Amino acid sequence: MSAGDKTGEFEQVVRAYSADLYRYAYWLCRNRHQAEDLVQEAFARAWKGWADLREAALAKAWLIAILRNEHARSFSRKRPELASGEADESELPPVPSFEAGIETAQIVNRLPAAYREPLVLQVLGGFSCSEIAGIIGTSAGAVMTRLTRARQALREQYTEAGKRRVSK
Amino acid sequence: MNCLEFRRQKLADPRRLSAQAQSHLQGCPGCTEFARGVDETERSLEQALAVPVPEGLADRVLLGRRGAGRVAWRTWAIAAAVVLAIALGFGHLKNPPSDQYARLAIEHVQLEPESFTTVRHADAEAFRSILEDFGGTLKQPLGRIRYIKLCPLDEGTGWHIVFETPGGLATLILVPGKHPGSTETATVGGWNALARPTRTGYYAVVTASLQMTSRVDSAVRERIEWKS
Repeated sequence: MSAGDKTGEFEQVVRAYSADLYRYAYWLCRNRHQAEDLVQEAFARAWKGWADLREAALAKAWLIAILRNEHARSFSRKRPELASGEADESELPPVPSFEAGIETAQIVNRLPAAYREPLVLQVLGGFSCSEIAGIIGTSAGAVMTRLTRARQALREQYTEAGKRRVSK
Repeated sequence: MNCLEFRRQKLADPRRLSAQAQSHLQGCPGCTEFARGVDETERSLEQALAVPVPEGLADRVLLGRRGAGRVAWRTWAIAAAVVLAIALGFGHLKNPPSDQYARLAIEHVQLEPESFTTVRHADAEAFRSILEDFGGTLKQPLGRIRYIKLCPLDEGTGWHIVFETPGGLATLILVPGKHPGSTETATVGGWNALARPTRTGYYAVVTASLQMTSRVDSAVRERIEWKS
């Protein structure tokens, strides 16, 4: 492949997947500045290893895996800061009657990371259970269990939020 | 396939049902109702997860890659950006947009959705102290404070505050050192904002409707005394 082809292909991939990558990064770290940094870093690494990508069809999953590694690296460097953010969320007051989308985002925020991550990959990324298993390094069965529990938890919280709205 | 197996499969991957699951769904009213509920939750989930993506993200990624290997090109790009910024600056001086501060406030709120879902430094005393620094005295509480953060804003920093009101959550942004010529209003993407100059800078109120912004702004003017 010529240098021009390589550059053109990379640009197409950046334009096609940067939004998906940003959203995935946002739900990993829940901070928009960190999310953009992660996307920049992931694409910089992807460019360096572009020759390792055998099929363009696999680019999205490959990029997600790179970004996930970057997040793990930055998380290990900044653990205390992130841990204090987690503590704040545990103090969330009852959901006020506000826009439904914000209420859902709040419920998703409360899910444990192990449930939230496969859910984001499936709902936003459109990945199947076995593809998610490949990205996060576990079995398809384990992913199915996590997704089932995540959606059960969401449904329960929706029901509770609905009851709170009725009782107000 | 029985109902339990169907429901497990539907919850694990609602959009990829197997042929057996599809066939079970045809003949089971209980599972049809269950599937409808899951699909409804899924739609709402999809909307909530699709947080706004910063404008120009792909361009910045590509610019970063090009810049990594071409120092000369980057130098020219920076020089061009400086010239463009100066030209735009003169353009703005000549003809400044009348709602730029209100729009900036909305843009900031859209880019920080976590301000509505996270409780952060929710301290009434901290809010009072920030207001004092900004030249305001709180005579009466505005509502329960949920979120306070110092954010990068308008080439400087500003305080981003979210509080509860009877009509829902409202955002108050305090930006020192910038002075809109008059009160500005803007409506963008389902959000409404009002930016009002003060002696030390300006404050902006952002809510989900014009009526609510107006109510919150009235409360701000009644309950905060601004130094003249």
